[in-house]
Parts: sequence; structure tokens; C-alpha cells
Amino acid sequence: MAVNGIHSQPDTAALACGQDAATVWDRAATGRLGTHDRDCPHCRAVADDQRVLAMAIDALNDQAMEPPPSLVDHVMGAVLTELRPADYLPLPTRHGRARIDRIAAAVVLRHAVDQMTALRVRSCRLHLIEPLASPDTHTPTAVWVHISVTARFGTDLFSATARVRQMILTAAEDLLGLPITAVDVDVVDLFADPARGTH
Amino acid sequence: MLHVSDTVVARVAAYHACRVPGVLRLRPDLAQSLASIATRLFPPRDGEHRIPTDGVTAVIEAGRAEISITLVAQWGRNCRDLAEEVQNQVAEHVGAYTGLPATVTITITDVDYTG
Amino acid sequence: MIGAADLDDLTLVVRAQEGDTRAFEALVRRHQRRLYRLAVRLLGNTSDAEESVQEAFVAAWRQLNGFRGEAAFSSWMYRIVTNRCLTLVRARRPVLALDELGEQADPEGASPEQAAEAHDRATALDRALQQLSAEQRACWILRELHGLSYDDIAAIVGASVDAVRGRLYRARCTLAEVMAPWR
Repeated sequence: MAVNGIHSQPDTAALACGQDAATVWDRAATGRLGTHDRDCPHCRAVADDQRVLAMAIDALNDQAMEPPPSLVDHVMGAVLTELRPADYLPLPTRHGRARIDRIAAAVVLRHAVDQMTALRVRSCRLHLIEPLASPDTHTPTAVWVHISVTARFGTDLFSATARVRQMILTAAEDLLGLPITAVDVDVVDLFADPARGTH
Repeated sequence: MLHVSDTVVARVAAYHACRVPGVLRLRPDLAQSLASIATRLFPPRDGEHRIPTDGVTAVIEAGRAEISITLVAQWGRNCRDLAEEVQNQVAEHVGAYTGLPATVTITITDVDYTG
Repeated sequence: MIGAADLDDLTLVVRAQEGDTRAFEALVRRHQRRLYRLAVRLLGNTSDAEESVQEAFVAAWRQLNGFRGEAAFSSWMYRIVTNRCLTLVRARRPVLALDELGEQADPEGASPEQAAEAHDRATALDRALQQLSAEQRACWILRELHGLSYDDIAAIVGASVDAVRGRLYRARCTLAEVMAPWR
């Protein structure tokens, strides 16, 4: 690395035999030492250094510590107390007002679709289409769902997206009690199934 | 005529809301958390006790109880039906116990599928 | 039924970006071990490491909408943790002098038992690591303990691939010298 035009410390060094030390090191690390490397005293010295360090690295890795359980707790404690703007969707009950957190409603729909193995839901957004008139709480509201999914490679996309649309409608009615007017499904990516060796 | 405080109404509401199957717990919303801090900093004047129970606020005005309940629902229970059941149970019990007609507003902040 | 643990990082990131805290928790659980080990080696102690990784995750949660998914989530987290640790290391003074280290790294008197020897080797290397410059140490740890590519390391530490190669080479020379008595 050049500092003020002077090489304060070389990035790599040529050994007395002409070989580049860093390259010899990499060959030693990957077990690809050539005949010259093994016969040449300079290259052997580099390989010895590599071997000594590799043993120490193994020993160091064996000592690797597990993170304390408090780590996740502290992170999630901080995350859950982060203020976020409250945002709700109205639930149509007969007496009094009721509403559900928009994020919680999306989590319910995603979790319902997670039972399908052919698709994975990434984004799931619920948009409230406000009724045209009146602050009357009994005016039915409309909710429009927009989801993005990734599909298992080879899945019939037409039938899978039709099924996921139906699952969303069913889950919205059975689990949320929220009337949905439309479900848009975007297939954004495909994923491989390691069990079946697709790629 | 019976006079009851907001606190009495809120305690009755909290007691019965928790007992509706599918209600995992009541949860103070942000406004309540801030209000409870404010209450500690600025002790209320008479008649302003509005933070009686976590997750429940109650205000008595013109002979009616306005109750607001924030809760976490259990996965699998229909959220609309759950909200309606809590509204019915709470209004009925508050009415029977205090004689006040009640309007109940429900906010579901989370649905827990892990527990 | 697919649990959060079965989902790929990007799916969990998108869900977390939309406010799903359980998806974020799954990401934290999945990546905490690697990041904690990185921080322990970079900082040389566990309490600073725990705090740095915690802060890094909370910072990630706050900046999550800025994550666009061009890079892997793991690389993004590696970068946040590495930067936090390097800042912390630069803010404190060196712990040991080199000659002092030489004595501590001396295997003389070590038990001939292999387990004890391995332990001493690890201890010697760990001490030697703390003598490297923070930048060299970061490159060396990411390469030798985490097996990352030069390209990934360059992106994480914000340097060119050549600079990474140089730091790695100098780190190896220093460590090999300190570890020479173990030949």
C-alpha cells in the first residue's frame, strides 16, 4: 500500500526463489502445493507457517462461544418498544367500533398461506378503500390485498396463484372477519427445492 | 342513584374482557403508555383518573360509559367475532354491575400464533 | 406448515420491512451466532461483543427500509457489526505491548497433553490477533474464521480487493512470526 509514494510495508513479497509468498500461502491453504513448493526451502517455510496458523485456527474455532440467550431478548425488547405510527383497519362489528392493527392483519394472512409449500409470501399489504361518504361506522369498507410471492420451481403458476388468492379470501373471512374485495398476486421469484434437486 | 368512577368501570371491563376465550392479554396502547407517564409526572386533578387498568380506558360522560379495550388475540379465533364477543360481554357486565349503558371500542394490536 | 426458520433471508427481510417483528426475530436468531463470534474476536471480550451485536441488530431494524436486497442480508449485517467494532477498537488504546505478548505466547512449560496444547495454541493466537491493526484483524478474521471471499470482505470493510489482500498478507506474516515457537 503506497503511503506518500513510499511502500511502507509490502502487500506481498517475492521469496528468494522468485515465487510470490501470498500465492504459495494460498496453495498451501488449499492443499495444492506443487513439486517446487515442496522441495524449495523458502516455499516450505511459508507452507510451515501456514500449517502452524491453520492448527491454531482450528483450536480457536473449537473454542468459539455461543451467544448468550439474553442477546435475542435485548434486541427484541428494543425492537418492540420502538414507536411506530398506529395504523388500523376497521372490523365490521354490530355494536361499537372495532379495529385491527394493519401489520397484525397482514401477519395473519401470511401465516395462513405459509401452510402452502409451493409458495412463500414475501410482501403482504392491505389497502383500505375508504367508503365514499359518511362517517357512519356501519358503512362497509373495502380492503384490497396485494401480495408478492416466490414459487417453487416447476409449480404450475396459474393454479398456485389461484389457490393462494382463494386462501387469502378464506383466511380473511375465517380468521380476521375482514371483507376483502380484491387480491392481487405478484410472482416475484422462483426458489429451488433442495429435496428434489431442482436448480 | 349509584355513582361509580371511571376506574370501577375500567376494572369491571378488564376483568370480563380477559375472560373471553381467544383474548390472550390486554395491552396498553401508546397513548396509554404516554398518558401513564404524564400521570406520574403531573398528578391528575379530581375526576381525571383515566388510566385505571393496562389496556383499558373508561370515561363516564352524560350517564354513559365509553370503554376502550386494546388486546392481543389468539391465532385461529376470528378477530371480528372476538371483538364483537368482547363488546357484548363487557357492555353486559358493566351494565349489570354499574347500571351504566356502555359503548365498547376494541383495538386488536396483535395476533399471536406462537403461544 | 412452514415456520419462520424455514424461510429464506430475503422473504424474512421483506416481512420485517413491513413491520413483522417475528420475521425479524427469526433473522436475529439465524445470524446472531456468526456475528457474535466475529465481534468477540474483533473486540477481544464477550461483554463488548454482546453489546455491539445487540446495537447492530437494533440499528438494522431501524435502517431496514434502506436495505434493498442487492447484497445478502448476512453481508449487510457483517458490515454493520464490523463497522461498530472497528469504531470501538479505534476509540481505545492498545492493550498489550508486543514484547509482553511474546512471553505470553511462549509455549514453554505448556502441558504435553494435546488438549492443553490446543488450548494454549488458541490462546496464543487470540492474543496475537489483538496486536494486529484493527483493519488487518477484521480482514484476517473474516477470511480465516468466517471463510468469506475477498470480494465480500472488500464490501464489508469498505476497501478494495487489493487492499484486503495486502492486509491479509501482513496479518499472516505477523501472526506466523508470533506463532513460530509452535512449529
